[in-house]
Amino acid sequence: MKLRIGGSAPKAVAVVLPVLEGSPLPSGFEAAADAEGFTGAAGTACHILTAMRPTLLVGLGPKPNEAAYHAAGALAAARLARTRRIALDAHGLLPQPAAAFALGAMMRAWRQDQWRSRPDEDGQRLATIDLLNDRPGITAAWQEAEAVWKGTRLVRDLVASPSNLLTPDDFIERLTPLREAGVSVTVLKRRELEHEGLGALLAVGRASAHRPRLVVLRWEGAMEAAPVAFVGKGITFDTGGICIKPAAGMEEMRADMTGAATCAGVMLTLALRRSPAPAVAVLALAENAIGADAYRPGDVLHSHSGQTIEVIDTDAEGRLVLADALSWTAKRLRPQAMIDLATLTGSIITALGHQMAGLFATDDALAAQIAAAGEAVGELVWRMPLGGGYDEALKSDIADLRNCATGRFQPDACHGASFLAHFTAGVPWAHLDIAGMDSQAEASDSHAKGASGYGVRLLDRLVARRFEDPHRA
Amino acid sequence: MLDIGFAKSALPKNGALVLLVEEGEKPTADLLAEVDHATGGAVSRALEAAEFKGKPGTSCTILAPGAGLSRVVAIGIGKLEALTQRTAEEAGGHAVPALSRDTHASIAAAALPDALAAAIAMGAALRSYRFDRYRTKEKAEDKPKLAKLHVLAAHPVRAKEAWTPLQTTFDGVCITRDLVSEPPNVLNPAEMAERIKALESLGLKVEVFGPKEMAKLGFGALLGVAQGSANEPRMVVMHWHGASSSGKGKKAQRPQPIAFVGKGVTFDSGGISIKPAAGMEDMKWDMAGAGTVVGLMAALAGRQAKVDAVGLVGLVENMPSGTAQRPGDVVKTASGQTVEIINTDAEGRMVLADVLHYCLEKYDPKFMVDLATLTGSIIVALGHEYAGLFSNDDGLSAQLTAAAEETGERVWRMPLADAYDRQLKSDIADMKHVTGRPGSAITAAQFIQRFVGGRTWAHLDIAGMAWSTKDSACVPKGATAFGVRLLDRLVASHYEEA
Repeated sequence: MKLRIGGSAPKAVAVVLPVLEGSPLPSGFEAAADAEGFTGAAGTACHILTAMRPTLLVGLGPKPNEAAYHAAGALAAARLARTRRIALDAHGLLPQPAAAFALGAMMRAWRQDQWRSRPDEDGQRLATIDLLNDRPGITAAWQEAEAVWKGTRLVRDLVASPSNLLTPDDFIERLTPLREAGVSVTVLKRRELEHEGLGALLAVGRASAHRPRLVVLRWEGAMEAAPVAFVGKGITFDTGGICIKPAAGMEEMRADMTGAATCAGVMLTLALRRSPAPAVAVLALAENAIGADAYRPGDVLHSHSGQTIEVIDTDAEGRLVLADALSWTAKRLRPQAMIDLATLTGSIITALGHQMAGLFATDDALAAQIAAAGEAVGELVWRMPLGGGYDEALKSDIADLRNCATGRFQPDACHGASFLAHFTAGVPWAHLDIAGMDSQAEASDSHAKGASGYGVRLLDRLVARRFEDPHRA
Repeated sequence: MLDIGFAKSALPKNGALVLLVEEGEKPTADLLAEVDHATGGAVSRALEAAEFKGKPGTSCTILAPGAGLSRVVAIGIGKLEALTQRTAEEAGGHAVPALSRDTHASIAAAALPDALAAAIAMGAALRSYRFDRYRTKEKAEDKPKLAKLHVLAAHPVRAKEAWTPLQTTFDGVCITRDLVSEPPNVLNPAEMAERIKALESLGLKVEVFGPKEMAKLGFGALLGVAQGSANEPRMVVMHWHGASSSGKGKKAQRPQPIAFVGKGVTFDSGGISIKPAAGMEDMKWDMAGAGTVVGLMAALAGRQAKVDAVGLVGLVENMPSGTAQRPGDVVKTASGQTVEIINTDAEGRMVLADVLHYCLEKYDPKFMVDLATLTGSIIVALGHEYAGLFSNDDGLSAQLTAAAEETGERVWRMPLADAYDRQLKSDIADMKHVTGRPGSAITAAQFIQRFVGGRTWAHLDIAGMAWSTKDSACVPKGATAFGVRLLDRLVASHYEEA
């Protein structure tokens, strides 16, 4: 995917014209728009083939915000997916809306075809986008958006990678763009993990031939402040372990490292746009495999925090690796806030579907800012409850905690979040259960098929709003 | 039923005595000094031996301490100044299990303000509820004996005044718990309608609609659910006119009422989309939404609430049979919208669709709140801690959330959005009534929202809250009547004339 900024479109390229609802239609297109009933409403488009060159009018609605420009760009790329090169005629837009429009198109035009030996028959060919805008600030505005694009692309490429090509060590090798952007990458291997006492992470990764790792990404920023920390669940493949999953659909478990990938992606974005805010990310990487030495239901684990955990279900492994990662992060990196991301539970999909991620938090202000950032960029979250009766369900007969409750109809998303809260050591904390958001089953007007990259834009915006203000108390 | 009275604070001569113990290194409680004096310090010694510190939720029973008392029960209440209506109710509730061997007991509550002394009584009453109509062989020693409870208050008259409205709420709770507990062969739609009709004695006006009347109203959705059962459906409308009219004589005008609507599936087999056998007996309480509306209306009438309220319940039985509705059927609802049936076990929303539409057309209410044991999805989302609250109005949501926190019948707001609504698209009708598992409590709420005509509305999905498998402070296991106290508080706080 390439994006070029210029003043005019090359020849033989389809042109996209954004149209404000309620404004006069671009001249020459009135009759066609009228025939189609196109008025510029959000989510609508009108493809005109009779003009000098193929033209797509896309509606922005009457009062577009950033999310609306992004959506209109995505819609344009969706409708013109079979065209090799398109030009977004953004002359009428200010630099930032123009960049949001282009970013939407880039994100929708992405597709995962690196493992195909011949082109996919669905005919998606869009490879180059020209952004037509000659205002002075356009290059700077696109650079900011491009940082988000590159962060998102990293997430998608990681999430789409099959598990035989993305073991924990492969994942670490794929972090080269972060090193190049100035992010330091440190890896804790078995000896350090044992020395540091990350017994839960070690247990989950024990049965796999590919050893678990804890990866620490550090971006210095320019401010004197404790860092914000992102913590990600990175199960490169989740068989469920001894509590093995049903075969149908198990291939989707290659995406069970989406939380860790999203953390890496947002760090890349922050580094590429030279964010002044210090940030760290801690990725808990492991493969939850089956083997002669696999951890079992009934095992008691010594976690990094000192708390013991009775394993009820080896398929509730994400919360185990995160428990150690959160506790280690709180103790070693002393962040001002921790936000973890995890494809944690099926329960959150039953609760919220594929439209919103579940947000759990011990800090109301942090939760409100996450929700506001999500609203601004169109990556929605919904607050869910923690603690209380959900904690009761985590009482163990033998250890400090158990990792889940038994029986049908369990509110497992609330249980999982309440479990994690025990490992946050009083640091303001939020947890995003993104199990419903990591991938799109089908391509749509708004989303490319496959890995979504959900969360990069949200967290980048959160950092910009909350953690880059030097005057914030 | 427990008989509750209020009396002046004095050490009782016999029976059981409950002490409400403040948290601290050295426990303090009303009448503690007196009972110690009468028993030679036995009670304080016992509390010390038991390391009882007065933490909320803890209790300690001291048998035969002397002075003629059968037992002293210490109940931890935490800090006195932090006690609220809800925590006082919980303290009263905690006392009850320890008193089952006594016929009469006294609670020393003179240190509490009158309202909280009354709340202690409320908690005890709520916890002492029992549904034993169908036990014919229970041994006397297995039955709780407690019959009379005296609350010893600083101002017994004023405490009793504070208790009176609580008692009517309690009566409403009992009506709901009885209805929800009844087995489905006894409580079919016609029987439930009869029992509601009997509440006219409280001053409610009750209208009952049979299948013919509902057919005239075009209730294709509700009648479609009912058509597989030998038991005819009913819709029952309860009116309470407690507000004053404006204007006089023929020009007198009633204010807009507030409206409550309940799902009343007296038994839900699932219909042709039949449920698995395990646990199906629980489906007798699939009428809990309706049961709650009935109890609430009784409570409002009982305390002569200064409000005009209307309660509507749609009562059906969902059975598989040769006449039953099928997946694939298309029905026309009272609103004129058509619905493709996908799963006959998603029947509650069909009942609500017609009743809500009738309610808004007929009564033009200020708001509508519906209650339904609607989805398994809400249990997977929130468990048994919160009901799911869905609403198109932030103000009403905030009022409901506040009332929920005050009464301990808690709700958690869940989202509504176009992206969910779009999933209801049908290939053949205006909509289908059910979607796949993801977000299915939300899509159910979106379906219902299509029948509220844009009015102010809230939907409480109480599937995880209507029945409890374990005792809690104020709710013995079984039917909880979740929602009666919450909605009674909503009305009292915001919708009654001064």
